[in-house]
Amino acid sequence: MPQSRNLLRVLTRRSEGPLLLCLLAVIGFFALASDTFLSVRNITNVLGQASLAMMAGIGVAIVFISGEVDVSCGSLLAAVAIPLIVVMNATNSLALGIAAALALGGVVGVVNGFLAAYLRINSLIVTLGTLFVLRGGVYLYTGQTAIPDDAGLESFFQLGNGRLAGVLPYPAVAALVLLLVFAYVMGHRPFGRHVFAAGGNPDVARLAGYDVPRIKFAGFVVSALLATCAGIMLASRLGSAVHVAGLGFEFQVVAAVVLGGVSLSGGVGSLFGMALGVLILSFLANGLGMLDLATEWQLVVTGAIIIAAVSFDEFKRRQKL
Amino acid sequence: MASSSQIQPQPGAGRIAAAMAGQPQAVLIVLLLLLCGAISLAAAQFYSLANIIAILRQSALVLIVAAGMTTLLIGGEVDLSVGASLAFTGCVAMDATNRSGSVPVGALAALAFAGAVGLFNGLVVTRLRVNSLIATIATMMILQGGVYLYTREAVQNQHHLAAFTGIGAGYLGAFPIPVLLAAAVFAAVYIALRHTLFGRYTYALGANPIAARLSGLRVRRLKLAGFVITGLLVGVTGLILCSLMNAGQPTAGRGFELTVIAAVILGGTSLAGGRGSLIGTLLGVLVLKVIDNGIIILRWNQDFQMVVPGVVIVAATWLDTVRVRRRAV
Repeated sequence: MPQSRNLLRVLTRRSEGPLLLCLLAVIGFFALASDTFLSVRNITNVLGQASLAMMAGIGVAIVFISGEVDVSCGSLLAAVAIPLIVVMNATNSLALGIAAALALGGVVGVVNGFLAAYLRINSLIVTLGTLFVLRGGVYLYTGQTAIPDDAGLESFFQLGNGRLAGVLPYPAVAALVLLLVFAYVMGHRPFGRHVFAAGGNPDVARLAGYDVPRIKFAGFVVSALLATCAGIMLASRLGSAVHVAGLGFEFQVVAAVVLGGVSLSGGVGSLFGMALGVLILSFLANGLGMLDLATEWQLVVTGAIIIAAVSFDEFKRRQKL
Repeated sequence: MASSSQIQPQPGAGRIAAAMAGQPQAVLIVLLLLLCGAISLAAAQFYSLANIIAILRQSALVLIVAAGMTTLLIGGEVDLSVGASLAFTGCVAMDATNRSGSVPVGALAALAFAGAVGLFNGLVVTRLRVNSLIATIATMMILQGGVYLYTREAVQNQHHLAAFTGIGAGYLGAFPIPVLLAAAVFAAVYIALRHTLFGRYTYALGANPIAARLSGLRVRRLKLAGFVITGLLVGVTGLILCSLMNAGQPTAGRGFELTVIAAVILGGTSLAGGRGSLIGTLLGVLVLKVIDNGIIILRWNQDFQMVVPGVVIVAATWLDTVRVRRRAV
């Protein structure tokens, strides 16, 4: 049928095609292997779990595309929960708590961006430094315990645990909206063009009149603010500021972003690819859990799948050349 | 250094700064001296023999793996699986020694396991052409999951062999054995990088992989060698660590990969490949471990052990960036 052939062509031509097929294969496999996998409840649960990595992944993907690296999101996730909970406990206001969290996230983004983009310190080092400093700061401030939410606001609880129309978790809604907004910005607004230009070839971008440091700086700030959003959602789910929250989260996000076809050398990638990468890893983790496999197997299989997917992608790319 | 003679002498203190700018490790040496001076002023026991040995022993663990990581980074690759591999190797070493009652068998098992991990990483990167950052994150996940499938809890020492304990805690003459092992590894890797074709090719490969391939270097084999060397050195460290802890801990080595990479990069090795030195790595390790030790001696909250190195890495890299740029002008 011509229509289905068209669809197939679109699938294989777009860079996200193989990823989408991979996602469908994962979902198909677990739908057959487990009775409960393909329920609305389970699918929406996975979307809720995927939303944290999705939000942070948007920012990390933008920073990667701009030719830099951001690995600070794991500690940031734990750090922003502290001002959120502390301010909320003191003022009984969710809005003030969120403002405080975003303020901290913004400051971290500005520091990362200033050091990496303007002082031109290698961004892996800068954000590795931020990862250390923030985690250490969280431990120092909390004395290595969780800070409970004493305000007990219903709105705060709903933020991470509520569902739109009783179906789709709010974090998933937020991630989806952010994904669409940023995909539009990256694909159809000057900012997106600037980011791709800065990452693709910084010298040419500079000669073409783009302010490369400013573009990269903006990328870091956006990334930190998006990780803050993820941190707020996580704090709501946990009902407290947990000092060990987000340990190793940066690895998950980087793995999903790279799996999604975002190049580590800058200038290449799409946010939809990143989103598919996140979804593949999330459905995989969920499905393996449903098969009653030991949770350790999830890590092993996920690692193997990442290697398989990236090497397959690389193989396809070389064949095309 | 040829380039240092090109710097115009500047009046006064600027001259010292200019001379320093020609020395690649100047910033780190000054930093190390300042740190030692400041800590010993605040706490005299810093210079006690016991404390110096403690610092050296801690440094040895990081330095052995960092030597391999330096080789890898110079060749343009990276290995994030070393922390997870370290923990797994420790469990394997203790288990093998328990079962066989023989230290050499345990040591061989550790080296074989960690070497195989390195080989796996190398094959995935060179044959399947997976970017090494993502490939070794995947290996890290596989190992973290795998170690819990292998053992749920710490593998305890059931053999009580004195020789096994000696690997971590023993002395040869006045020197702790881990420090001697680190010194031997350091010397071997230093010679390999500076005075052999392997080293020269590794630098060439990292600086420009395409040119290296076109000039007939066996790029894949070189990279594979870097991963296997790093793997084997993780094996050595895993053995020492499990001897020191007197158990194979599946949770050991968490975050170790970040410490190693921080030390190597602090030492001036470029992430882009082609540039770096093992002397720098040694200084980087010492700076991080002196800071760790200072925090303990000064009785600061130990959580500062994460904060201070984070700041130091960024600051030292910034100073290095400024130094390189000024020299380039």
